[in-house]
Amino acid sequence: MNSLPTPSRPPLRSVLLRSRKHTILGVDPQKLIKYFFGSNASVAIIVLVLIMVFLLREGIDFLPTYQRELQTYRRAGLEFCDIIDQPLQRNQALSSSLRQAVSASLETLSKPARDRRDAAFLLKRQVEDKTARPRESLTQALEKTPPAPEQIEVFRRELAEASAAAAKALEYPAVFSAAEREQLQREFSALTPEVTDLPPLVQKLVADFSAKDREARTKFAALVTAQEEFEEATEPLQEVVDELKAKALETKEKAVEFEVLETNRKRLLEAAATETDPKEKASLTKEAEESVSEAVDLEESIKEITGRTAELREQVEKYAVVIEKAAADLPKDAGTGAARTLVNDVREGIPVHAREMRAAAGKLEGWRWDKPVSIFSVIGAFFFGTQWITNSSWQDFFGFVPLLTGSLVIAAIAILIATPVSVVAAIYTNQFASEREKEMIKPVIEFIQAIPSVVLGFIGISLVGNLIKDVSEWSWLQWVPGFPIQERLNMFNAGCLLAFMAVPTMFSLSEDALNNVPRAYIDASDALGATKLQTVFRVIVPAGISGILSAILLGLGRVVGETMVVLLVAGNRIAIPDFSAGPGVIFHPAHTLTGIIAQELGEVSRGSSHWQALFMVGIVLFAISLLVNWCARAVARRFEPHKA
Amino acid sequence: MSADSTAQSTPPPVVQVRDMDFSYGASKALFDINLKVEYHRVTALIGPSGCGKSTLLRCINRMNDRVPSARVTKGEVLVKGKNIHDADVDLTQLRKQVGMVFQKSNPFPKSIYENVAYGLRIHGEKNKSVLDEAVERSLSHAALWEELKDRLHANALALSGGQQQRLCIARAIATVPDVLLMDEPCSALDPISTLKIEELMHQLAKEFTVVIVTHNMQQAVRVSDYTAFLHLGKLVEFAPTEELFTNPREKLTESYLRGTFS
Ligand SMILES: Nc1ncnc2c1ncn2[C@@H]1O[C@H](COP(=O)(O)OP(=O)(O)OP(=O)(O)O)[C@@H](O)[C@H]1O
Ligand SMILES: [Mg+2]
Repeated sequence: MNSLPTPSRPPLRSVLLRSRKHTILGVDPQKLIKYFFGSNASVAIIVLVLIMVFLLREGIDFLPTYQRELQTYRRAGLEFCDIIDQPLQRNQALSSSLRQAVSASLETLSKPARDRRDAAFLLKRQVEDKTARPRESLTQALEKTPPAPEQIEVFRRELAEASAAAAKALEYPAVFSAAEREQLQREFSALTPEVTDLPPLVQKLVADFSAKDREARTKFAALVTAQEEFEEATEPLQEVVDELKAKALETKEKAVEFEVLETNRKRLLEAAATETDPKEKASLTKEAEESVSEAVDLEESIKEITGRTAELREQVEKYAVVIEKAAADLPKDAGTGAARTLVNDVREGIPVHAREMRAAAGKLEGWRWDKPVSIFSVIGAFFFGTQWITNSSWQDFFGFVPLLTGSLVIAAIAILIATPVSVVAAIYTNQFASEREKEMIKPVIEFIQAIPSVVLGFIGISLVGNLIKDVSEWSWLQWVPGFPIQERLNMFNAGCLLAFMAVPTMFSLSEDALNNVPRAYIDASDALGATKLQTVFRVIVPAGISGILSAILLGLGRVVGETMVVLLVAGNRIAIPDFSAGPGVIFHPAHTLTGIIAQELGEVSRGSSHWQALFMVGIVLFAISLLVNWCARAVARRFEPHKA
Repeated sequence: MSADSTAQSTPPPVVQVRDMDFSYGASKALFDINLKVEYHRVTALIGPSGCGKSTLLRCINRMNDRVPSARVTKGEVLVKGKNIHDADVDLTQLRKQVGMVFQKSNPFPKSIYENVAYGLRIHGEKNKSVLDEAVERSLSHAALWEELKDRLHANALALSGGQQQRLCIARAIATVPDVLLMDEPCSALDPISTLKIEELMHQLAKEFTVVIVTHNMQQAVRVSDYTAFLHLGKLVEFAPTEELFTNPREKLTESYLRGTFS
């Protein structure tokens, strides 16, 4: 071969040139393919970055905006009023407990009499309803001028017949004796439009009830007076607070209006500065000059409020003394057991409330209207704020905690339910199921993912809610905390549905994790004589645990980010769930991070503080998702020795 | 080896394969195998790739059970005189008596200690001191105790390949089996590790009966007392190792040993 003449081989130059022919727009196709794939991957990253930038751009302004709002809240004196008004809210709960206790106590005596009276009223109404037409005719005939006596007579007879028939057809409840029934029937048969007085027996029943009620009120006189004292104690204080609040609100509205006009003026002036056309410029400047309003003298108006500090303190002190006295006057006993517990709760609650009120009054002196609101306190007010109040005529608060707790509790419920179900299903499918079973289980579970979440929400409202409510009323389940439940739409309901939604993700990933456990481990365990169960629980599951944990975390990510179901099913009450209810708290309604965005974003005006607050929530949600996903990956890496 | 002459006084072979046929579904893998494995001897199985060495080895602890449709179609396998396919045989107990070491080392992703203790634990041993004692004994047998006694709770996957394979041996012998099956235990190891394991084999033979599959003829000569040569699913020749290698009776064996095998 070596001896062959060289000319048959092409010259080196032409070899090099030929390779240059295969180019597209001067680029090597190999490189083009590489760029194509590379660019597709980078699109995902770029989109992610864009989302982040967009969220931040809309949301980051929230802090200064909210800072301004809180500043106004302070300067206009709203904060000052809230010092007293916030703890005063507790009064309503106490007072409603007392009212319940009083009515329950009174009922022990007056209930039979009241039932009889109400039953009689009901019966009378029924007769009147049935005889409405002849009565109407008769009334018209009576009003006619000149009167037509024959016609009146006819109608009167018709009405009497109808009344008699109706009175006869009535079902008289057992609270009436036979004689009473007869008398009632007679009286109802004789009802006519002219007689406005109640029939005698009904009158007697009314009188009976009044007597009984009076009797009950004397019997529980201590309780009744204590309750009245308590109710009345609030009035003078509330009056002062309301006056101050009205003043503060007025100031605030003026200040806000001034600010709006002021920004408007600045914008117009800026536009005028850049405008070249002299005509336009003149009109813009003119418009700007018109957009002025009187600046509010905050200091002056705040003086009107703080000037009444002493009076307010005095009122608080009076209020505290009176309610404490009411608490001391509360009798030890009440009509029923439930009422007794209520009274006891109130007796313990009042001193605490009084102490809170006094402490609040103590804070009034130290309050300064011109203390600046630092950005840190704004951040604190958002992240640790316990109130999310919007569209309020008083003051909007954007506190994150109620939403976060709702989301977390729901996610926790969902994960607690979904984890055992999906992991056990994955273990069964991977290790015990026959091929045919596998072919059935996997697609069915994966199909769940295809169910639109709005459909699930629908099921939650129409089916699961009722189911939980019915079950919670079963007498032998009453030991379960929170049973019987009040609300069909609650965190548990949402948690169940989210668990259902998370199962496919968690199942598939767990199953993959188990599948990835090296065959050799199973061989070794089998060869040592392990039973199938031993191999599964001592070797396969521990070896796949990283994958299972990361599956759970990814399921958590899915659950936290889910919107539709929680919006429809979680009950949407924006308040921190009442954890004092113990584990039963899961049956309370709540709102969530995702739900609030979906619900409110469409209704708020673009660029308002509310809008920005929702974007802040979006940012935090985004951060939580990133964190959960990062954890999932970290876990997967951390516990994966057999891949090392 | 000379004990063969007085058949009456010898104990029964620990493993005896009698007229066994084995098939994977429709395809027959082993034909009419007869094999006796003596107590405290090392028996080597050699033969070209695919001749059925692993299959035969796996017949002894019924590891083939896990392959659906694979079964012994004729004959029987006796371990300590008991037919292992009898209905009253407990697979767990059988595998406790017949341990196995695989070609590729496969320690569990657990600590060294837990790896060795695994066999005892699954057989219900909970007593800490018994476990401690068994771990020490097994690791010593596998010539690992000195190296590893200070890091018993380190992850087994952090060990070198040779150490991992010896750990697998320790794990297999922790339950004190009568027979230890080894399927090419050194094929994935470097020469030094191989040497260590070969040395170990002589020690192990003092307490256990070893059946080893190997592709390495020298290894068979070095470690085994008996050698069986398989070809296309048939046991061609079974004899004391020296005899088989120096003076094979069958033509086929001779050509395989010479390497002039077609
Ligand atoms: N699980 C199985 N299913 C079906 N056939 C199998 C299975 N395992 C092995 N076989 C077949 O049985 C025959 C013997 O295989 P075996 O693994 O016992 O050979 P071997 O002698 O161990 O080979 P090597 O030296 O390559 O390990 C081969 O023809 C193989 O194709
Ligand atoms: Mg093999």
